[in-house]
Amino acid sequence: MFKKLFLLSVTVFATNTAFSQGPRPSDLTASPQPVGDSGVMWYTTWETAKAEAKRSNRPIFFMAAAATCSGIPGVF
Amino acid sequence: MFSTKDFVNASRNYVCVRLESYESEEHQQLVRSFLNGRFENTAFCLLDPDAETRLTRSSRNPNHVLGGANDSVIAEMNRIAAGYRKKGQDTEMVLQDFHSFRQALNVASGDQRLLLLVSGTASDIEKVKGTLRPVFAAPEVMGRFHLDFADETVDAQWTELVSNSSRGPGLSVIQADSFGQEGSVVAKLPLNASSTEIHQTLLAANRKFAESEARKIYGEHVKEGRQNGVFFENKMPYGEDRDGDGEIDHRGGKGGKGMKGRKGGGKGTGRSPE
Repeated sequence: MFKKLFLLSVTVFATNTAFSQGPRPSDLTASPQPVGDSGVMWYTTWETAKAEAKRSNRPIFFMAAAATCSGIPGVF
Repeated sequence: MFSTKDFVNASRNYVCVRLESYESEEHQQLVRSFLNGRFENTAFCLLDPDAETRLTRSSRNPNHVLGGANDSVIAEMNRIAAGYRKKGQDTEMVLQDFHSFRQALNVASGDQRLLLLVSGTASDIEKVKGTLRPVFAAPEVMGRFHLDFADETVDAQWTELVSNSSRGPGLSVIQADSFGQEGSVVAKLPLNASSTEIHQTLLAANRKFAESEARKIYGEHVKEGRQNGVFFENKMPYGEDRDGDGEIDHRGGKGGKGMKGRKGGGKGTGRSPE
Protein backbone atom coordinates (compact mmCIF):
# COMPACT_ATOMS: atom_id res chain seq x y z
CA MET A 1 0.00 0.00 0.00
CA PHE A 2 2.76 2.40 1.03
CA LYS A 3 4.71 1.54 -2.12
CA LYS A 4 1.65 2.28 -4.32
CA LEU A 5 1.07 5.62 -2.62
CA PHE A 6 4.74 6.50 -3.04
CA LEU A 7 4.69 5.66 -6.75
CA LEU A 8 1.48 7.64 -7.23
CA SER A 9 2.91 10.70 -5.53
CA VAL A 10 6.11 10.52 -7.59
CA THR A 11 4.06 10.25 -10.80
CA VAL A 12 1.83 13.20 -9.87
CA PHE A 13 4.87 15.29 -8.91
CA ALA A 14 6.70 14.49 -12.14
CA THR A 15 3.62 15.21 -14.25
CA ASN A 16 2.97 18.54 -12.56
CA THR A 17 6.59 19.58 -12.86
CA ALA A 18 6.76 18.73 -16.55
CA PHE A 19 3.47 20.51 -17.23
CA SER A 20 4.45 23.65 -15.41
CA GLN A 21 7.75 23.81 -17.25
CA GLY A 22 6.17 23.56 -20.68
CA PRO A 23 7.88 22.12 -23.72
CA ARG A 24 11.57 22.51 -24.34
CA PRO A 25 12.54 25.20 -26.87
CA SER A 26 13.91 22.59 -29.27
CA ASP A 27 10.48 20.90 -29.37
CA LEU A 28 8.66 24.05 -30.43
CA THR A 29 7.99 24.81 -34.06
CA ALA A 30 6.58 27.71 -36.06
CA SER A 31 3.27 29.47 -35.50
CA PRO A 32 0.69 28.02 -37.89
CA GLN A 33 -0.70 31.47 -38.62
CA PRO A 34 0.50 32.92 -41.94
CA VAL A 35 2.61 36.07 -41.62
CA GLY A 36 0.48 39.14 -42.27
CA ASP A 37 -2.81 37.58 -41.13
CA SER A 38 -4.97 39.25 -38.55
CA GLY A 39 -4.24 38.15 -35.00
CA VAL A 40 -5.10 39.20 -31.48
CA MET A 41 -5.10 42.93 -31.03
CA TRP A 42 -2.86 43.25 -28.01
CA TYR A 43 -2.53 46.21 -25.72
CA THR A 44 0.96 46.34 -24.34
CA THR A 45 0.62 48.65 -21.36
CA TRP A 46 -1.72 48.11 -18.43
CA GLU A 47 -2.77 51.76 -18.50
CA THR A 48 -4.04 51.71 -22.10
CA ALA A 49 -5.81 48.39 -21.54
CA LYS A 50 -7.63 49.64 -18.45
CA ALA A 51 -8.65 52.82 -20.26
CA GLU A 52 -9.97 50.88 -23.25
CA ALA A 53 -11.88 48.43 -21.03
CA LYS A 54 -13.50 51.30 -19.17
CA ARG A 55 -14.37 53.07 -22.43
CA SER A 56 -15.76 50.04 -24.25
CA ASN A 57 -17.16 48.02 -21.30
CA ARG A 58 -15.42 44.92 -22.63
CA PRO A 59 -13.92 42.39 -20.22
CA ILE A 60 -10.13 42.11 -20.06
CA PHE A 61 -8.14 39.14 -21.30
CA PHE A 62 -4.97 39.54 -19.25
CA MET A 63 -1.72 37.83 -20.18
CA ALA A 64 1.83 38.30 -19.09
CA ALA A 65 4.43 36.70 -21.31
CA ALA A 66 8.03 37.12 -22.33
CA ALA A 67 9.12 37.96 -25.86
CA THR A 68 12.36 36.18 -25.01
CA CYS A 69 13.56 32.66 -24.27
CA SER A 70 16.35 32.68 -21.69
CA GLY A 71 17.19 36.22 -22.76
CA ILE A 72 17.11 35.45 -26.48
CA PRO A 73 14.69 37.94 -28.00
CA GLY A 74 12.27 37.89 -30.89
CA VAL A 75 10.06 34.96 -29.87
CA PHE A 76 6.86 34.31 -27.95
CA MET B 1 -4.47 28.49 -29.87
CA PHE B 2 -3.92 32.26 -30.13
CA SER B 3 -3.30 31.84 -33.86
CA THR B 4 -6.65 30.28 -34.71
CA LYS B 5 -9.43 32.27 -36.36
CA ASP B 6 -11.94 31.17 -33.72
CA PHE B 7 -9.73 32.46 -30.94
CA VAL B 8 -9.01 35.72 -32.75
CA ASN B 9 -12.76 36.22 -33.30
CA ALA B 10 -13.47 35.51 -29.63
CA SER B 11 -10.71 37.90 -28.58
CA ARG B 12 -12.44 40.83 -30.31
CA ASN B 13 -15.02 40.87 -27.51
CA TYR B 14 -12.23 41.45 -25.00
CA VAL B 15 -9.60 44.06 -24.35
CA CYS B 16 -6.58 41.82 -24.72
CA VAL B 17 -3.50 42.94 -22.87
CA ARG B 18 -0.17 41.17 -22.96
CA LEU B 19 2.45 42.63 -20.69
CA GLU B 20 6.14 41.83 -21.06
CA SER B 21 6.95 39.82 -17.94
CA TYR B 22 10.49 41.12 -17.49
CA GLU B 23 9.93 44.72 -18.50
CA SER B 24 9.41 46.28 -15.09
CA GLU B 25 8.88 45.77 -11.41
CA GLU B 26 5.29 46.96 -11.90
CA HIS B 27 4.59 44.18 -14.39
CA GLN B 28 6.07 41.57 -12.09
CA GLN B 29 4.06 42.82 -9.12
CA LEU B 30 0.94 42.50 -11.24
CA VAL B 31 1.88 38.92 -12.16
CA ARG B 32 2.51 38.13 -8.48
CA SER B 33 -0.92 39.56 -7.61
CA PHE B 34 -2.47 37.00 -9.97
CA LEU B 35 -0.29 34.05 -8.95
CA ASN B 36 -0.57 34.24 -5.16
CA GLY B 37 2.78 35.92 -4.72
CA ARG B 38 4.68 33.73 -7.18
CA PHE B 39 6.38 35.12 -10.25
CA GLU B 40 6.27 32.97 -13.37
CA ASN B 41 6.93 34.24 -16.84
CA THR B 42 3.38 33.71 -18.03
CA ALA B 43 0.15 34.56 -16.26
CA PHE B 44 -3.49 34.67 -17.30
CA CYS B 45 -6.82 35.87 -15.96
CA LEU B 46 -10.09 37.28 -17.26
CA LEU B 47 -11.23 40.48 -15.59
CA ASP B 48 -14.27 42.68 -15.50
CA PRO B 49 -13.94 46.00 -17.35
CA ASP B 50 -13.31 47.60 -13.95
CA ALA B 51 -9.88 45.88 -14.17
CA GLU B 52 -10.20 44.61 -10.60
CA THR B 53 -12.99 42.03 -10.41
CA ARG B 54 -11.68 38.66 -11.50
CA LEU B 55 -14.00 36.64 -13.70
CA THR B 56 -11.89 33.51 -13.52
CA ARG B 57 -9.21 32.13 -11.30
CA SER B 58 -5.72 32.94 -12.50
CA SER B 59 -3.01 30.64 -13.76
CA ARG B 60 -0.13 30.50 -16.19
CA ASN B 61 -2.27 29.57 -19.11
CA PRO B 62 -5.92 30.01 -20.24
CA ASN B 63 -6.22 26.28 -20.89
CA HIS B 64 -5.59 25.64 -17.18
CA VAL B 65 -8.48 27.91 -16.25
CA LEU B 66 -11.08 27.76 -19.00
CA GLY B 67 -10.95 24.09 -19.90
CA GLY B 68 -8.16 21.98 -21.30
CA ALA B 69 -9.19 21.95 -24.95
CA ASN B 70 -8.92 25.05 -27.10
CA ASP B 71 -12.59 24.75 -28.09
CA SER B 72 -13.57 24.84 -24.41
CA VAL B 73 -11.48 27.96 -23.85
CA ILE B 74 -13.13 29.75 -26.77
CA ALA B 75 -16.63 28.65 -25.73
CA GLU B 76 -16.03 29.90 -22.19
CA MET B 77 -14.64 33.18 -23.47
CA ASN B 78 -17.74 33.66 -25.62
CA ARG B 79 -20.04 32.78 -22.72
CA ILE B 80 -18.41 35.31 -20.40
CA ALA B 81 -18.26 38.06 -23.02
CA ALA B 82 -21.98 37.63 -23.72
CA GLY B 83 -22.63 39.05 -20.26
CA TYR B 84 -21.24 42.45 -21.25
CA ARG B 85 -22.73 45.03 -23.56
CA LYS B 86 -20.07 46.82 -25.53
CA LYS B 87 -20.15 50.62 -25.38
CA GLY B 88 -18.99 53.19 -27.91
CA GLN B 89 -17.54 52.80 -31.36
CA ASP B 90 -14.26 51.16 -32.35
CA THR B 91 -13.29 54.43 -34.01
CA GLU B 92 -13.07 55.94 -30.50
CA MET B 93 -10.70 53.26 -29.24
CA VAL B 94 -7.74 53.85 -26.97
CA LEU B 95 -4.70 53.14 -29.12
CA GLN B 96 -1.98 50.65 -28.31
CA ASP B 97 1.34 51.98 -27.02
CA PHE B 98 4.56 50.57 -25.59
CA HIS B 99 6.67 51.73 -22.70
CA SER B 100 9.67 51.92 -25.03
CA PHE B 101 10.50 51.62 -28.71
CA ARG B 102 13.13 49.04 -27.87
CA GLN B 103 10.48 46.76 -26.38
CA ALA B 104 8.13 47.49 -29.28
CA LEU B 105 10.76 46.26 -31.74
CA ASN B 106 11.26 43.08 -29.77
CA VAL B 107 7.53 42.35 -29.51
CA ALA B 108 6.96 43.15 -33.21
CA SER B 109 9.74 40.70 -34.02
CA GLY B 110 8.27 38.06 -31.70
CA ASP B 111 4.83 38.36 -33.30
CA GLN B 112 6.29 38.89 -36.77
CA ARG B 113 4.17 41.96 -37.38
CA LEU B 114 5.09 45.35 -38.78
CA LEU B 115 5.34 48.20 -36.29
CA LEU B 116 4.01 51.70 -36.86
CA LEU B 117 6.05 54.21 -34.89
CA VAL B 118 4.72 57.74 -34.47
CA SER B 119 7.40 60.28 -33.64
CA GLY B 120 6.93 63.96 -32.98
CA THR B 121 6.16 66.36 -30.19
CA ALA B 122 3.56 65.42 -27.58
CA SER B 123 1.03 67.77 -29.16
CA ASP B 124 1.74 66.36 -32.65
CA ILE B 125 1.13 62.87 -31.33
CA GLU B 126 -2.19 63.80 -29.74
CA LYS B 127 -3.38 65.21 -33.07
CA VAL B 128 -2.29 62.10 -34.99
CA LYS B 129 -4.24 59.81 -32.65
CA GLY B 130 -7.47 61.18 -34.07
CA THR B 131 -6.34 60.20 -37.57
CA LEU B 132 -5.11 56.77 -36.47
CA ARG B 133 -8.18 55.59 -34.55
CA PRO B 134 -10.34 54.84 -37.62
CA VAL B 135 -7.34 53.21 -39.31
CA PHE B 136 -6.69 50.78 -36.45
CA ALA B 137 -10.42 50.14 -36.02
CA ALA B 138 -10.67 48.85 -39.59
CA PRO B 139 -11.00 45.03 -39.60
CA GLU B 140 -8.33 44.69 -42.29
CA VAL B 141 -5.82 46.54 -40.09
CA MET B 142 -6.85 45.34 -36.62
CA GLY B 143 -4.48 42.76 -35.19
CA ARG B 144 -1.98 42.92 -38.07
CA PHE B 145 0.35 45.64 -36.74
CA HIS B 146 1.82 46.94 -33.55
CA LEU B 147 1.67 50.63 -32.74
CA ASP B 148 4.05 52.71 -30.68
CA PHE B 149 4.28 56.41 -29.90
CA ALA B 150 7.86 57.54 -29.42
CA ASP B 151 8.39 59.04 -26.01
CA GLU B 152 10.41 62.26 -26.22
CA THR B 153 12.75 61.12 -23.45
CA VAL B 154 12.80 57.29 -23.31
CA ASP B 155 12.86 56.96 -27.11
CA ALA B 156 14.92 60.03 -27.95
CA GLN B 157 17.52 57.88 -29.71
CA TRP B 158 15.10 55.60 -31.55
CA THR B 159 16.64 56.39 -34.95
CA GLU B 160 19.85 54.68 -33.83
CA LEU B 161 18.00 51.37 -33.81
CA VAL B 162 16.64 51.60 -37.34
CA SER B 163 18.07 51.90 -40.81
CA ASN B 164 16.57 53.87 -43.72
CA SER B 165 15.18 56.39 -41.29
CA SER B 166 15.09 60.16 -41.42
CA ARG B 167 15.29 61.90 -38.09
CA GLY B 168 12.26 64.10 -38.65
CA PRO B 169 8.85 63.47 -37.14
CA GLY B 170 6.42 61.23 -38.94
CA LEU B 171 4.77 57.85 -39.16
CA SER B 172 7.37 55.14 -39.77
CA VAL B 173 6.38 51.63 -40.79
CA ILE B 174 9.16 49.48 -39.37
CA GLN B 175 10.15 45.89 -39.95
CA ALA B 176 12.01 44.48 -36.97
CA ASP B 177 14.95 42.18 -37.55
CA SER B 178 14.87 38.53 -36.58
CA PHE B 179 15.89 39.15 -32.95
CA GLY B 180 14.05 42.44 -32.55
CA GLN B 181 17.21 44.34 -31.81
CA GLU B 182 17.06 46.64 -34.81
CA GLY B 183 14.66 47.48 -37.59
CA SER B 184 14.36 49.11 -40.96
CA VAL B 185 11.86 51.70 -42.10
CA VAL B 186 9.89 50.28 -45.02
CA ALA B 187 7.59 53.28 -45.46
CA LYS B 188 7.29 56.74 -43.97
CA LEU B 189 4.47 59.26 -43.98
CA PRO B 190 4.23 62.81 -42.65
CA LEU B 191 2.28 63.46 -39.49
CA ASN B 192 -0.45 65.18 -41.47
CA ALA B 193 -1.11 62.12 -43.65
CA SER B 194 -4.77 61.28 -43.98
CA SER B 195 -6.42 58.18 -42.55
CA THR B 196 -6.82 56.86 -46.08
CA GLU B 197 -3.13 57.32 -46.88
CA ILE B 198 -2.08 55.62 -43.68
CA HIS B 199 -4.51 52.76 -44.24
CA GLN B 200 -3.29 52.16 -47.79
CA THR B 201 0.38 52.42 -46.82
CA LEU B 202 -0.01 49.94 -43.98
CA LEU B 203 -1.82 47.37 -46.09
CA ALA B 204 0.67 47.66 -48.95
CA ALA B 205 3.59 47.24 -46.54
CA ASN B 206 1.91 44.26 -44.91
CA ARG B 207 1.39 42.55 -48.27
CA LYS B 208 5.09 42.85 -49.08
CA PHE B 209 6.04 41.75 -45.58
CA ALA B 210 3.83 38.66 -45.83
CA GLU B 211 5.41 37.71 -49.15
CA SER B 212 8.99 38.02 -47.95
CA GLU B 213 8.88 36.94 -44.29
CA ALA B 214 8.94 33.26 -43.34
CA ARG B 215 7.62 32.13 -39.98
CA LYS B 216 10.33 31.60 -37.42
CA ILE B 217 10.85 28.11 -36.13
CA TYR B 218 11.06 28.61 -32.40
CA GLY B 219 13.66 25.97 -31.62
CA GLU B 220 15.94 27.00 -34.47
CA HIS B 221 15.60 30.68 -33.59
CA VAL B 222 16.62 30.08 -29.99
CA LYS B 223 19.50 27.85 -31.08
CA GLU B 224 20.76 30.50 -33.47
CA GLY B 225 20.45 33.15 -30.79
CA ARG B 226 22.48 31.04 -28.36
CA GLN B 227 25.16 30.34 -30.96
CA ASN B 228 25.47 34.04 -31.78
CA GLY B 229 25.34 35.22 -28.19
CA VAL B 230 22.22 37.33 -28.74
CA PHE B 231 20.84 38.64 -25.46
CA PHE B 232 18.07 41.11 -24.66
CA GLU B 233 18.64 43.03 -21.48
CA ASN B 234 15.35 43.64 -19.70
CA LYS B 235 14.93 45.72 -16.59
CA MET B 236 14.18 42.64 -14.48
CA PRO B 237 16.39 39.55 -14.21
CA TYR B 238 15.30 36.43 -16.09
CA GLY B 239 14.00 33.44 -14.15
CA GLU B 240 11.00 32.62 -12.03
CA ASP B 241 10.08 32.70 -8.37
CA ARG B 242 7.89 29.63 -8.18
CA ASP B 243 8.10 29.30 -4.43
CA GLY B 244 6.95 32.90 -3.99
CA ASP B 245 9.68 33.92 -1.59
CA GLY B 246 10.27 37.17 -3.47
CA GLU B 247 13.53 36.05 -5.08
CA ILE B 248 14.21 34.56 -8.49
CA ASP B 249 14.89 30.83 -8.17
CA HIS B 250 18.08 29.48 -9.66
CA ARG B 251 18.90 26.13 -11.09
CA GLY B 252 21.00 23.87 -8.93
CA GLY B 253 24.72 23.75 -9.67
CA LYS B 254 25.05 27.38 -10.73
CA GLY B 255 25.54 28.87 -7.35
CA GLY B 256 21.87 29.67 -6.90
CA LYS B 257 19.79 28.83 -3.91
CA GLY B 258 17.85 26.13 -5.75
CA MET B 259 14.16 25.49 -5.81
CA LYS B 260 12.38 24.52 -2.65
CA GLY B 261 10.57 21.27 -3.19
CA ARG B 262 10.88 21.20 -6.97
CA LYS B 263 13.39 20.07 -9.48
CA GLY B 264 14.40 21.74 -12.70
CA GLY B 265 13.24 25.22 -11.73
CA GLY B 266 13.55 27.78 -14.46
CA LYS B 267 13.49 25.30 -17.30
CA GLY B 268 10.96 25.40 -20.08
CA THR B 269 9.95 28.32 -22.20
CA GLY B 270 6.74 29.52 -20.69
CA ARG B 271 5.75 30.06 -24.29
CA SER B 272 2.33 31.53 -24.87
CA PRO B 273 -0.21 29.06 -26.24
CA GLU B 274 -0.29 29.21 -30.04
